[in-house]
Amino acid sequence: MNDVATMAEPPGADGTSPARRRRSLAGKAGRGLVKLVPGLAILAFWQWASGRLIREIYVSKPTAVAARLYELFASGEIYPHLWTTGQELVLGYVIGVAGGILGGYALGRSPRLANIFEPYVMAFYGIPKIALAPLFIIWFGIGIGSKVALAAIMVFFLVFYNVYTGVCSVDRELINLTLVMGANQRQLTYHVYFPAAAPYVLLGMRMAVPYAVIGVIVGEFTSSVQGLGLFIHEASSTYDPAGVFAGIVILLAFVVAANFLAGRLERRLLRWKTPMAHAPSDI
Amino acid sequence: MNDAVLSFSHIRQEFPAPGGGTGIRVIDGIDLDVGNGKFVAVIGPSGCGKSTLLQMAAGLLAPTGGIVRHRGRAINAVNREVGFVPQQAQLFPWKTLAENIELPLLLRGVATAERRERVASALEAVGLSGFEQYFPNQLSGGMQKRGSIARTLVYRPDVILMDEPFGALDAQTRMVMQDDLQMLSHDAGATILFVTHDITEAVLLADNVAVMSQRPSKLLANIAIDLARPRNVFEPFKNPGFEAAYDAVWTIFRSQIGIRERTH
Repeated sequence: MNDVATMAEPPGADGTSPARRRRSLAGKAGRGLVKLVPGLAILAFWQWASGRLIREIYVSKPTAVAARLYELFASGEIYPHLWTTGQELVLGYVIGVAGGILGGYALGRSPRLANIFEPYVMAFYGIPKIALAPLFIIWFGIGIGSKVALAAIMVFFLVFYNVYTGVCSVDRELINLTLVMGANQRQLTYHVYFPAAAPYVLLGMRMAVPYAVIGVIVGEFTSSVQGLGLFIHEASSTYDPAGVFAGIVILLAFVVAANFLAGRLERRLLRWKTPMAHAPSDI
Repeated sequence: MNDAVLSFSHIRQEFPAPGGGTGIRVIDGIDLDVGNGKFVAVIGPSGCGKSTLLQMAAGLLAPTGGIVRHRGRAINAVNREVGFVPQQAQLFPWKTLAENIELPLLLRGVATAERRERVASALEAVGLSGFEQYFPNQLSGGMQKRGSIARTLVYRPDVILMDEPFGALDAQTRMVMQDDLQMLSHDAGATILFVTHDITEAVLLADNVAVMSQRPSKLLANIAIDLARPRNVFEPFKNPGFEAAYDAVWTIFRSQIGIRERTH
């Protein structure tokens, strides 16, 4: 790492040639295809084994599930369920994330608050949230309220701990430096705490997506009038495995889509964490 | 009052021992003045509280006893009139180099046009023009250090506090940086309080070298270094009078290291 040599030769903006970029694009497509192989193999095996190794009434088969999915969307039967579950998921997730960020940030910034409240949060964290489902039904009714509450509380703890850890881990020296540079508390929050905690916040938000789904579905299983959970529950109690799998596929699609969006957001906001191919530090 | 920019008087500092009990006395009565436009180096054995003095000057730590004054004003809150260059570059990893250097100006409410101009000239002064859009983790250690210095110079602080700023650099980079700092501080007419454990560095850069004893530390000597400027940092021994100046510091510093070896 010779400083002088580095000075003398400033590299191009990102240092990648078009040819290299093309090759990496082809490589990306190849890797994407490789990723599909295990999934396709499982589907093929499922299709083949159904009716041969295991009775179809137990496991259905991919073509039947696909047919069922088509039917559900074509007839419009699934839309009310989707609408209800979608609302519950979004509301529960947003409330949980907002609460987690606020709580985690407050406790992370104030050691005094953390001292008082941390043990309580820890204790509540230990409660299996699923055990609360029946209680929430009593408190918030069998409508969307109870599901939103259940999803929110599951999301809250995950986000809370991530944000709390993130804020606590900000380098003290960096904070002192920023203060000497002339920052007030608001500027310190904006320029140091938020960006420093961002990787933790985003990780928490990403990890919380499946938990929101679990919260909502458990709530709907317990008691509800409408929703994907109810749909799956009814399908399974009427020996309709294709219906169960169709419901699960929809949930899966939701989680994958949410994960993809979160990943995109993460890459965008954390641009500074992933250096470009040829930076001076490599020379 | 004297005309010192920064003055430490009767400074004592104790830190609580881990697990209670009587505290550890780190600094035991230090008096030190930093004159306007002077480059003062502080050297001492490790753990003697050199960096602690800088923390006090920046208002990040209140001394247990004594008082630190900045232009006659007692420091009892974060001192925004100083600049701090830490041992690690400590650039904000989420900001580009230009954004890093712009931050102090932004925090101080400098107008956009002037900010842009001053950032550009600060980058040029440290030889980093063309790297504005790079993130710190894309820069070498030496470049990050230059960025860190530019971020301090850009808001023209009254005093620059440097805490072993070149300690983590490799030997060549270090010499280049020392040379640059000598030039930059001369051009800016800056007042600098510079902590180091390297006698050569102290003698080459400073107008005055303050030697601290080991813990609990006192000021052993404040030696004026009257070498002509600019000094040749690449071949220290070629500076006329370097040997005598080095010897003056070393004679005092040696006793501190000797005592340490005996007690262990």
